[in-house]
Amino acid sequence: MSLSGYLAVSIALFTLGTIMFISRKNTIAILMGVELVLNAAALNFMAFSKFTQSQASQLDGQIFAIFIILMAAAEAVVALAIALSVYKEFKQILANKLVSLKG
Amino acid sequence: MIELSELFFYFFTVMVLGIGCIVAFSQNLLRSAFALFFVLFGIAGFYVLLGGDFLAVVQVLVYAGGINVLLIFGTMLTADVATPESSNISFQSVLTIVAGAGIFFLLLFIINSAEWPIVTQEMVPTTKHIGRLLLKEYILPFEVISFLLLASMIGALVLVNKGDQR
Repeated sequence: MSLSGYLAVSIALFTLGTIMFISRKNTIAILMGVELVLNAAALNFMAFSKFTQSQASQLDGQIFAIFIILMAAAEAVVALAIALSVYKEFKQILANKLVSLKG
Repeated sequence: MIELSELFFYFFTVMVLGIGCIVAFSQNLLRSAFALFFVLFGIAGFYVLLGGDFLAVVQVLVYAGGINVLLIFGTMLTADVATPESSNISFQSVLTIVAGAGIFFLLLFIINSAEWPIVTQEMVPTTKHIGRLLLKEYILPFEVISFLLLASMIGALVLVNKGDQR
């Protein structure tokens, strides 16, 4: 399969993630959308790493994908901790009802 | 005669995008959390097709085994799973889907009109080279990301414990 096939799958996944984190109300669903977008980015890096021209830096994309996965882990942990403590405070985590900073 | 890797490519494409639609549009949040599991497995399949054997295992271990289980726990601890309205799609969703389809076709047009200077590499085992790269050229980002993981772990503990002190 050529490079543009993988890129097409990646942008479809990116679009699904974008739709998800714009249209959902639940904070955890928004976090799932972010995970989809991060996966699309990592898939892009892997595809470019496979089809790259330079022999010396062939694995750079894969290294970058490792860093994306680790960053996603750190981000998911902190975001879920925030969601849990918000739930303790307000008894719900719907993003359109968390308006107490609005004044 | 269709090639076997191409067949697997189409299989994983249907799996990732079809189940991804369930993740994005399902009314039940728990259902989309479980569907995300299969999307992540499909991405690991793409990594295998792209010659990243180590990355595929890392994807299954960290994403499907770690992050997704964490998301399912978070869903069960906070959302009212029995009532679908708690994860409902908001009223602008039709507009969002239209805009998202617009972005998709714009990006698809761009990648189809671009010239990619590609060569196809042969598949080699990557784990040894990735380990060598991480401990030589990428030693500073490696240390920084390990510090980030430590900081996020401590931060999560502090954030969750904060409510109990009152």
